[in-house]
Amino acid sequence: MTDFDLVWKNLFRKPLRTILLTVSIFMAFLIFGILTSLNVALDRATGSGSVSNRLVVSNKINFTQSMPYAYINRVAAIPGVTAVTYQNWFGAYYQDQRASRFVGFAVDPETYMAIFHDDARLTDAERQAFLTERTGVIVGKSLADRYGWKVGQTIPISSNIYSQANGRRSWDMKISGIFTGAKPTDPTTAIYFHYSYINETITFNRDQVGTITVVTASPDQNDQVAKAIDANFANSPAETSTVDEKTFSRAFLKQAGDLNFIVTMVVSAAFAAILMIVSTTLVSAMRERTKEIGVMKTLGFSSPRVLRMVLGEAVLLSSLGAVLGLGASAFILTGLSKSPVGSNFGDLSMSPVVALLGLALAVSLGLVTGAVPALSALRMSIIEALNRG
Amino acid sequence: MSLLNQTGSVIAMNVRSIPQRLWMSLATVGSIALVVAVLLGFLALANGFNQTLKGSGAPDVAIVLRDGAASELNSVVSREQIDLLGQGPGVRAAPDGRPLISAELVLIVDGIKKSTGTKANMPLRGIGPNGLLVRPQAKITQGRMFTPGSNEIVVGAGLLREFSGFELGKTLRFGAQTWKVVGVFEAPGTVFESELWADAPVIQSLFKRGSTFQTARVGLTSPAAMPAFVAYVKKEQRLQLKAQSEQTYFADQAERSGLIIKYFGWPLGIIMAIGALAGALNTMYASVSSRAAEIATLRVIGFSGFSAFIGTMVEALVLSALGALVGVGICALGFNGLSASTLGSGFTQVAFRLQIGPDIITQAVTLALIIGLIGGIFPGLRASQQRPLLALAT
Repeated sequence: MTDFDLVWKNLFRKPLRTILLTVSIFMAFLIFGILTSLNVALDRATGSGSVSNRLVVSNKINFTQSMPYAYINRVAAIPGVTAVTYQNWFGAYYQDQRASRFVGFAVDPETYMAIFHDDARLTDAERQAFLTERTGVIVGKSLADRYGWKVGQTIPISSNIYSQANGRRSWDMKISGIFTGAKPTDPTTAIYFHYSYINETITFNRDQVGTITVVTASPDQNDQVAKAIDANFANSPAETSTVDEKTFSRAFLKQAGDLNFIVTMVVSAAFAAILMIVSTTLVSAMRERTKEIGVMKTLGFSSPRVLRMVLGEAVLLSSLGAVLGLGASAFILTGLSKSPVGSNFGDLSMSPVVALLGLALAVSLGLVTGAVPALSALRMSIIEALNRG
Repeated sequence: MSLLNQTGSVIAMNVRSIPQRLWMSLATVGSIALVVAVLLGFLALANGFNQTLKGSGAPDVAIVLRDGAASELNSVVSREQIDLLGQGPGVRAAPDGRPLISAELVLIVDGIKKSTGTKANMPLRGIGPNGLLVRPQAKITQGRMFTPGSNEIVVGAGLLREFSGFELGKTLRFGAQTWKVVGVFEAPGTVFESELWADAPVIQSLFKRGSTFQTARVGLTSPAAMPAFVAYVKKEQRLQLKAQSEQTYFADQAERSGLIIKYFGWPLGIIMAIGALAGALNTMYASVSSRAAEIATLRVIGFSGFSAFIGTMVEALVLSALGALVGVGICALGFNGLSASTLGSGFTQVAFRLQIGPDIITQAVTLALIIGLIGGIFPGLRASQQRPLLALAT
């Protein structure tokens, strides 16, 4: 019989107790696995597609305020800028204003595709069709699947902001292509269509753009270019604020609330709870075994060996719960990724980093919960142990 | 000895023996307290947000938006439409004798969220003299109201609490224009406290809005006048607008937004509760096994199995009730009244306070007692079914 067999047998000496402890640990790691992965996914979603030499120019008052169309050429002329494109938020929806809203931008197809070709992947034929069809629209694969859209079909896309001169609030658009992301897990829940088609037909805010995307010669020039752009429009009716793409999307995400803080609080509360439960139960379990430890020491088990065995038992217990909990959360996350709500987050699956972090947490939890019983076993003299209990 | 007396003494014995299993019992209390605190934290968040939205709507004020617009931001209302609204039935007269209609427009400006240090959307609302008459809750508490026709802003106390950039006396730049913050207003428990207010005509001209507005708030003679006014707006072909009571408008928003927090809080609370339940079961089984000899003795001298069951049950319930008490205490002292903010459905920030109330405390305490109940039943059954002689023999 190896030490491991002995540890294993000890762990299951009272199967019900061990099962209950495993359930407690399982639940804490379930919370850890799901919340941390959601947090990582959100973080990645705002960072995905963010290329380090891309900047976003928006109106300094707020990004919902627009800027004159003429800004595009003025931005393009600034030294260090290698490419420019622009987009207008459309408040797009399909048929049902409440239930089927999605991201929709009016863009300039040629310059947009030149910069974002990796984020919206199309076949050459689709790309060509989008460039030439004035009423063309490219739709993300998730959206095409959800509404059963096919290439060549004409669909009415409505806006909760704009209307046409004839009072209609929807525009007929012909699907030029269905795009996928750079990775199969990237979110594809947006549509893009021609700025010129919309601009000619809207009743207000004509010749205005929402945000301008700028590509710089290299990331080192970002700061200098951003400052030059903002200086260019200083003291004008539409001053600008230029930041890198990642900063822009992070700030937007943070508007919902400090998710990091909430996740940290909940995960800490869950772990504080199991820490209390597991450590006190292990202390009382070890107390029942005092006599046995005395016998083991009498038989020649060294004190460090007894210490290792007690700690081993605690680590084994927490790892068991952790592996099951992390496994279950990975399973749930996979299911969530495929749901309509989850697909907006892109790849929800558990990253190796989260899994490793979870295992590290499990080992630390085992060492902490095992510390008190292990130390008392280490210090216990044979006489004392055999006399007690 | 009657069953009642028997049970009473066993309960007393059980509860008095808790200190013998002090650490495990404390762990049970502590873990249940954490479950209650986490659930209550989420519910207080949802509750505070909902109460703020619900507190904002008056039953005798109609809010009129473009038909189909989901929020004020996407709505357009013209001067002519405002005049037509004034001819509707049941419209109250303002002190100047004209219909009490507040024509308003809302645009978004940047503020800095204090908790994250990042930019956030602040609503800058243009109002006229009637703006305060349809919001009787709002009062200037520092400085003064803006002077009509000038670039002056008053800031809501809630916004000031959560965001920086709009402190009293500060000069702001929007585009080429400078504005001055001249006053702070309070409108406790409403979304308006998260807004910036300025003179509507000034905003129209400086932000190139021509003579258009986005919404109209119409004061009615009484809540009973609402249906007739709503029907008038629907029927009048020249309007193409939609009226609803402000109360309904905000209640609808509360329902949609509050759900997200609730659907996040309950699953987490339940997962944690199952974890704590496993801990409680362990503690109670340990209690039963440590008292095996005691229970057996009682059975031998004529106590019923039922009293052993109830004794264990009550011990579990006492532990969970203590846990609930501590959990509610943590929330009441630590979270209640805490200021928070999130993006509301108007695409602008809403500042609110976490709010615990009797209904959500009841929900969280119920969850704790369910843990105690289940945590007591099974160990209790074991206690009642223990065979006395066998237990004494070992």
